[in-house]
Parts: sequence; C-alpha cells; structure tokens
Amino acid sequence: MALKKLDVRGTKCPIPIVRAKKELDAMAPGDELEVTATDPGSVPDFQGWVKTAKHALLKTQRTEKDDTGKELYIHLLERK
Amino acid sequence: MDEEARDNGVPPVPGLDMGELLPRLDRGERILLLDVRNQEEYESWRVEPRRAVETIHVPYFDFIEDTDGSIAKVPKGREVVVLCAQGGSSELIVDMLGEAGIPSKNVKGGMIAYGMYLEPVKLKLAAAEASRYELWQVNRRGKGCLSYVIVSGGEAVLVDPSRHTPWYEGFVAERGARVVRVLDTHVHADHVSGAPALARKLGVPYFVAAGEGFELAQPVTPLADGERLQLGGARGVSIEMRVLSTPGHTPGSTSFLVDGSYLLTGDTLFVASVGRPDLGGHVVEWGRALFDTLKRKLADLPGETRILPAHYSGTAEISADGVVCGRLDELRRTVPEMQIATVDAFVEAVRGAVRDPPEAYAEVIKVNLGVPASEEQISEWELGKNQCAASARRAGGA
Repeated sequence: MALKKLDVRGTKCPIPIVRAKKELDAMAPGDELEVTATDPGSVPDFQGWVKTAKHALLKTQRTEKDDTGKELYIHLLERK
Repeated sequence: MDEEARDNGVPPVPGLDMGELLPRLDRGERILLLDVRNQEEYESWRVEPRRAVETIHVPYFDFIEDTDGSIAKVPKGREVVVLCAQGGSSELIVDMLGEAGIPSKNVKGGMIAYGMYLEPVKLKLAAAEASRYELWQVNRRGKGCLSYVIVSGGEAVLVDPSRHTPWYEGFVAERGARVVRVLDTHVHADHVSGAPALARKLGVPYFVAAGEGFELAQPVTPLADGERLQLGGARGVSIEMRVLSTPGHTPGSTSFLVDGSYLLTGDTLFVASVGRPDLGGHVVEWGRALFDTLKRKLADLPGETRILPAHYSGTAEISADGVVCGRLDELRRTVPEMQIATVDAFVEAVRGAVRDPPEAYAEVIKVNLGVPASEEQISEWELGKNQCAASARRAGGA
C-alpha cells in the first residue's frame, strides 16, 4: 500500500478538496493520501466531503506547527 | 473551471459585491441564495438581510463529488447568487452552474466580505441640530457592530471604528472633513478596533480607558470623567461631546454625550439589553459597577436622551429608518435588566443570563490593548457575530 503526500499549504477552499479528489481518483483502493493544508476551514470541509465521497475515507485529522509556528492541518485519507 | 485554468488567469465568473447584494435583499427582491459552505459554518453564521431571503444549502464539495445531482437541486429560472466562506468555492460553483446552463453570480469575498461590510446610516436630526452637525451610525451588518462618525464644522470624530480603516478615511473625506480625534468606548472583546491604527496614521489623539486589570501596550490621550470635547470651529459651527465614565461592561467603559442629546453607550446599554460584565472574570464586581452606572449615572440624563449603542443583536432592533437607537425613558421601561431594583438581584440576573464568551475574546482584548498580531490571525479571531450583550434571547440572535 502506497502513501502519497499532497501539499496544499497557502491555498483556500475549494483547492484542497479539488486536488485531493483528483489524486485519490487516480490511486488504487487501499492507498493513502496525506494532505497538508493551512486553511482551518479544511477540517470541517474534509469531514463533510467524505460523507458522500465515492473514493475517499477520512482516517485521521491532526494539527502540527511548522517552523514558523504556523498551524498545519493534516488530513489522512484512504482511497476506497 | 479547473484549478489550472484558474491559475492561468481565465476571466472571472460573474460576481457581485456585498454592497450590491445586501440592499437588494433588504428590499425583498426575489433572489435565491445558494450557500455552499460546510454544515458547521452554515449553521453558525448567516447573512441577515432586513427581509427573509430564500436560501438553499448545498456544500461545494457535494458539487465536486456529485456534480449533476447537486446541480439538480438548484431551481431553474431564478436569479441565483452563490455564497461561500471566502468567495473561492462559490466561484467554482458559479462556473459549474454556468456550464449546466444555469446563470448565477458569485458573492465576491463571501462571508469574509459580509463580516467587513460597513453601511453608513445618517441620523435624522432636528433642523436646529442638523445645521450644526451630522451624526452617522456605521452598521457592520455581519458582526452587529455599530460605530459612529460625528462631523461638525469640517472636523470629524470617530467612535469605535472597526478595523476596515480606509473606509472611515474615505467616508470622512467625502464629507469634506478631517478626522481630529478617535475614541473607543472600551477595550472591545469581540472585534479588533481600527481606532489606534487610524489615530496613528492621521496623527490625532486616541482615547480608550482600559481600567484596572488591563495593561495598555499603546499610547492614549487620557480624558477625564465630565470632560467636554469641542468639535468644529469653522464658520462658527461647533458642538460639544461630554465624556461620561460608565464602568461595568469593562472597568474603563466610557460613554460620549453628543450635543447633549445622543449618548454613545458602547456596550453599557443596548436597545434590548445591557452589557455583559463577565468578560474579565469579575462578574460580581463589574456587575455592581454596571448597576451603579445604569441606575445612578444614567439617571441624571433626561428621558429624551437617545441611546446609540456599539452593538445590536438582530434586525428586530433596527428601526424603520434603518438605525439602532432608543430613547432612554423607553429603555428604562422596556429593557428587563433596567427593571431590577437591587444590585444583588441585578448581579444574579446578569450572571445567570450569560452565554459563551465571544470566540477568541482573550486574544482580541490583547490586540485591542496594543499587542501586535498578524492580519491573518485577526481575521480568524474576528469571524462570526458578537456576543457582548448580557442576554440575546429577546433580539433573536447573536
């Protein structure tokens, strides 16, 4: 099972979900995608999206700080 | 349009500004609002026009996941405007709808623009007053915040301006005046004040009284209780603003009596409630001070004094002429907290009625005391409506 990383730092909605969907659609079932975002709105957006998403499962969401102390929102998704 | 096309500078989709949309919704025009934010944001904060607006809610990620199914939820033959948090997702949806043959417009800037939008409303003064000064109530609709511009004889005073400072500069310039002083009624807890930045930029005095327990990290020009500020002077036109110390909501809360008639109360007295005295962890002490202010200090003022507060909590508080304003004698009769006879009962009542504090209020207070923060942080802390009234059930919101 492969893990792919997607960096969408600095972008705002709808970009994180548009890009995540594009990646997942091209991946094999069971593969994982880790999305790193800076938009706090991405947290409820990913939760909302996976409720109806055909190919996305949301495994975990966590926050981290980057070197400058900026909050990062990290979403781990699985291609289903 | 896909994201590459967006990055490549494809012409933007049709849009409209908040300043164009809101007046049309206020007039009751038959517009269908398509809100594409997530459930959480949609439930916590909405556009509130003066008349009900027909709204449908379909999150933008539903359009991405099931484009046809989501488009089918949008009625045909209606004027559709699409709203999201910041104006980016709604742009995508306008594009998708357009490809499906449904014309629509994007609300530029989304709810962020709503939160920043300022609507000036001119108070109708009696003829004798109107020849000497103009009094404007500036309504920040998305936050329920009210600020004021007083113009007399070519000079202007700003009270509680929001952080959209270029707007105030432009507004005063349009009136052919210059700002001579900037005042805050108190250290705000729900929004970041534009007053210190404006005063700094324009080189004019700034006043706020923080009071005990707060440490100001920026210079202020102090004003004494009872002090009279002169405004104007050109062509013999002038008015006076009296400084009244009105502690309670905060220990430093100050009201300004304009020309003996209009009392700018800040968060001391609203038209349907009183200020909440609990945002500093001293609800009993501040509650007692607020009772004293309302019962004793404001008792000296004539009943016909017009109260102009710094907040309102629902469109029901806006009168037919578009202002939030109440006569003091009426508020003494109608505001429930004003009916309470003893200080102990008052403190109990305000303590029992308080709700959650405003989002990030501790951080917002710090910024308003002069501690620097990034624009991005401030924007995030400021999202959503104010929560500064002791009770909000009556006014249907906040």
